[in-house]
Amino acid sequence: MYRVFLSWRFLRRRRTNLIGVFGIFLAVGALILILSIMTGFLEETRRSARGSLSDLILTLPPYKDARRPREPGPILEAIRADPRVEGASAHLGWMCILTRQDESSLRILIDSQSSEIAGIKLTGVDANDEKGSTEFLESLDRVGRNKDGEIEYDSTVGRPRASVVVGEKVMAYHRLRRGSFITLMTAVPDPGSDTGWSAKKREFVVAGTFRSGENEIDLERVYVDREQLARFLAGASEDDPVPSDAILFSEVLVKLKDYSGEAEAVREELGASLYKAGLIDESCSLRTWEEFRGTLLGAIENERVLMGIMLSLILVVAGFTIFAILSMMVTEKRRDIGILTALGATPNGVLALFLLIGFWDALIGAISGAVIGTWMAIKIDPFERWLSDTFGVQIFNRDVYLFDSIPSVVTPLAVGLIVLGAFVCTLVFAAIPAWRAAHLDPVEALRND
Amino acid sequence: MTSVPNVVLKARAIRKVFKTGDTELEILHGVDLDLVAGERLALMGPSGAGKSTLLHVLGLLERPTAGTVDIDGRDAWSLTTLERAALRNRHLGFVFQFYHLVAELDAVENVMLPAMIAQSSSEFRRSKAAHLKKARDLLASFGLSERMKHRPTQLSGGERQRVALARALFLDPPLLIADEPTGNLDRDTGEKVLELLFRAQAERSLSLLLVTHDERLAERCGRVLRMEAGRIAGAKAEPASLAR
Repeated sequence: MYRVFLSWRFLRRRRTNLIGVFGIFLAVGALILILSIMTGFLEETRRSARGSLSDLILTLPPYKDARRPREPGPILEAIRADPRVEGASAHLGWMCILTRQDESSLRILIDSQSSEIAGIKLTGVDANDEKGSTEFLESLDRVGRNKDGEIEYDSTVGRPRASVVVGEKVMAYHRLRRGSFITLMTAVPDPGSDTGWSAKKREFVVAGTFRSGENEIDLERVYVDREQLARFLAGASEDDPVPSDAILFSEVLVKLKDYSGEAEAVREELGASLYKAGLIDESCSLRTWEEFRGTLLGAIENERVLMGIMLSLILVVAGFTIFAILSMMVTEKRRDIGILTALGATPNGVLALFLLIGFWDALIGAISGAVIGTWMAIKIDPFERWLSDTFGVQIFNRDVYLFDSIPSVVTPLAVGLIVLGAFVCTLVFAAIPAWRAAHLDPVEALRND
Repeated sequence: MTSVPNVVLKARAIRKVFKTGDTELEILHGVDLDLVAGERLALMGPSGAGKSTLLHVLGLLERPTAGTVDIDGRDAWSLTTLERAALRNRHLGFVFQFYHLVAELDAVENVMLPAMIAQSSSEFRRSKAAHLKKARDLLASFGLSERMKHRPTQLSGGERQRVALARALFLDPPLLIADEPTGNLDRDTGEKVLELLFRAQAERSLSLLLVTHDERLAERCGRVLRMEAGRIAGAKAEPASLAR
């Protein structure tokens, strides 16, 4: 009885204990808040990456002597025949330089320190196929879609055959607007020329913008109709039929019905069946979107783990505070320990008494920290907006991350593990002074006077 | 027919040696001592004679180098730590010179502390009302009716010693050990505390082992033992009733 009663009473009457409680509260709250935000960033980034990449990506280097179909049709047909596949679409990607008829393009090209992007990745897509294989159409928020999900171009621009949809960032950097004309320049293989390459240049009209939520894509990506891109690269005009030797596609995006459950199996089986059917060769690769974005996702995951480890140090500091406070208390309470022993307390009872003080510290600190940390993690966005408005300082720059709100995901398992960690840490640090208290010589304690 | 006196405490050949490095210092040189039920024994002697060490050994707070201490018919120093703690809790009551009350508890809570140590939380909760009544009655009988909820810092020296006495008596132990109980009090206050102590001892037929430097206080005890250089000097260490 006395262990619970006295430990609680000692805790209440000694204000210094509040420092330890506050330390644990702060550590647990901060850990939950920061890890929730990092998890939110990770999930948001995964979602963005998935949106622009689809589930599986089949990359087919477009070289001339490849012994595989030149048209994407047979490959798309074979992939779509798999019952586990939701949809598939062909892409044609090519690196280009974007210029305008003004000085800004020159400035960007000659300024090596410029953060503005002149080089862009031109991606040829079949817009209607995209609906089945990626979330791309979801990203075309500025362009707008009709009820069938087709892209609706601005009526003032009409629907020119060679129109492009650019990332919001590209639009801003190059001071573009709908209807602006841009010139894209690139080089294509040309066995007939001396260098083996020839330059291509064409003017396109900007039909709209997209926002993927992934900075890299919104800065560098320009979408165009795949066949128009094939004509551009082959040197054919916009109204000509696509030349027979034109490069028609460089990758195929595949969306699965159950990515989390079947991705690996489909990747292996589909790759093998396409190879067996002669539709792909050794130069091709079939990867999941996570393998494609492995570096980025790995970096964020790494950052999350590092943050967790670093913030756990706060917990250790809080543990040290508990250790210091309890050590001080044991010294102050030498006489009381002697009295308790004289009245019949055992060394184990005294040990439990001081461990219980640590337990109360952990209980109050960890529970209040978990509640406030979770609440803060849930309400971080309005809280940040309130702070920014109140102090006139932008704390979270939404343009940098391309998130409309601070992403935050609270996982009960993480909260539980943090609270458990706080308990273990506190009890380990409390055990040292508690052990010292239990081994105090009662005679020495009582003789102190 | 003579009745056999009930021996509450029996100590035999108690030796206590302190070691400091290679040096050994023998404080107690084979002390024998008996205390029967209801007896009042004063232990006197100059500083350094070994009174306090003997008291701690008899009070089961300090293990002797050699010898036995029988309490309630059991060799206390051969018991386990848990059994010895229970023996201390149930059979011994301590009154110290400096009161030694727990500062965070009020008077009633300090008095109930032995019961809190003796019982589990559920047992204590079940009997809490009875404990409260007993503690309040004890404090009231010691003239502390108005001081029940006061903490030690809010009490005078005499009041604190009365609370300490009530705490020592709370579980009705058969043996009371008092170490200079009035050593820190003025004459009048000390006298009042002694009256309460002797009254409680007589009413409850307790055995009282009192360490004191005060000759007049020692004279009020039935038997006086003097210690010199770690030995009981002059008188026999057993009560007259046993000697016969």
